[in-house]
Amino acid sequence: MTMIIGEGAEDINIRMPKDIYDNSNHESTFNVYLTVVVRDNKGRVIRTHRQRSHSPTANFRTAILPEQWYRETGTSASWTNTSGTTNTIISIPDGSHSLISYPNSNTNYQTYLVGIMVGSGQQSNPESAYKLAAPIANGTGAGQLIYQPPTLPSQIMINGNSAYFYIEQTYVNQSGGTVTITEVGIVVEVYITKYTGASTATYNQGNILMWYDVLSSPISVPNGGSVTIYFTFMVNP
Amino acid sequence: MVTPDLMSEEDITKLIMPDNLPDEQTFKAYVEAKIYDKEGHVIDYRRQPMRSLTQYFLAFLSIALLGTYSGSSSTTAQSLLTNVLGMPSKQSSNGSADIGYSWSIQLGSGTQSFSPTLNSLAAPIANGSGAGQLTYGQTIVSYSGLTINVSVTVTNYSPTTINVTEIGLIGSIILEYDSSSNTYASATFTYLFSYDTFSPAVTLPPGAIATFQIVLTFSG
Repeated sequence: MTMIIGEGAEDINIRMPKDIYDNSNHESTFNVYLTVVVRDNKGRVIRTHRQRSHSPTANFRTAILPEQWYRETGTSASWTNTSGTTNTIISIPDGSHSLISYPNSNTNYQTYLVGIMVGSGQQSNPESAYKLAAPIANGTGAGQLIYQPPTLPSQIMINGNSAYFYIEQTYVNQSGGTVTITEVGIVVEVYITKYTGASTATYNQGNILMWYDVLSSPISVPNGGSVTIYFTFMVNP
Repeated sequence: MVTPDLMSEEDITKLIMPDNLPDEQTFKAYVEAKIYDKEGHVIDYRRQPMRSLTQYFLAFLSIALLGTYSGSSSTTAQSLLTNVLGMPSKQSSNGSADIGYSWSIQLGSGTQSFSPTLNSLAAPIANGSGAGQLTYGQTIVSYSGLTINVSVTVTNYSPTTINVTEIGLIGSIILEYDSSSNTYASATFTYLFSYDTFSPAVTLPPGAIATFQIVLTFSG
């Protein structure tokens, strides 16, 4: 904690130097972990890998911005889908606004988790990433993996002051050779509805990369084996 | 790390929730307060790490990470929205239904032990000019890169000194739907996203103005 009192601190625009932020004593309030479990063709665990995941994308930021930002700035935010198409999220002050689709009894446009995508490339700036550098296709061809559906959490687990949930997805290698994973990303299909006066229209935003990580070491999946990837999101770890 | 033998499912479960790892933090957050007296002089400045996010913040983030539906052909909400946030599995509507968000900062004069299921401040300071009240300005949200700033300016128009001992980031999810023939209605679901305390208390004498800011930085 920092306290400044007196005339020396009268500058209304005062900004503290970054190093006053005491990282050594900082209790991180939110962390994300990536866990990878590789199994051979008999289902035996042959490798595990853990690392800190720390790479939300700019798309993720757009997805959580509250209406105050649109109202105050009068501008639009945007995101770019995995096809490279950039769509804007329009602002509220002119009476128009965009909202994310929600399940209902009448007309449904599913905004849903497509899955944890895996790839064999890498890119250095996760914030600006909108797709994997070299996505591994779903299939049994050379270099491909069979994507099983992702498993969504049903609850948030509480452990003391900590709370967490995780997403998991398994991939089976029937390609005939070893497949190596070097990058992973969470992709969500998004629909938004634009309200303009009394009219509404719903737009498919496509597959949006929300989170992206390069693995700290490549993961090789043997032919006939499988790999399961877990993303754990935790507060107050 | 290589494990040559079988690993039990129990061991794998432990891996999913690992201990501290020597890597860059995912997220940093701090709480800041600047207090000016009625002449505009800075009389106090605080900056401290944020320590306490709730399960509701986590469930809110799940909207961006999991979407709102439980699957590609589902017509029901993913479980964290219903089980944690208490939102409807399926909103009754004559057309589509959609959600947006609103954030604000709430100040309080009480204290309480933190729990990730905490859903309110111990003693919220009401908006007004009466005894023990503060006049809240608009909540301002800005961002730069992956840093999101949320701030509010409050003024003590009451005749007495007010001590602020707690601060919370409040998040609302606004669910809009078509109630009848293109007539839109909305339902608002409000949660406590974070809870932090000031020790010693932030003191606002009569006429004082204070800006409270919560800064959330994703590492990127």
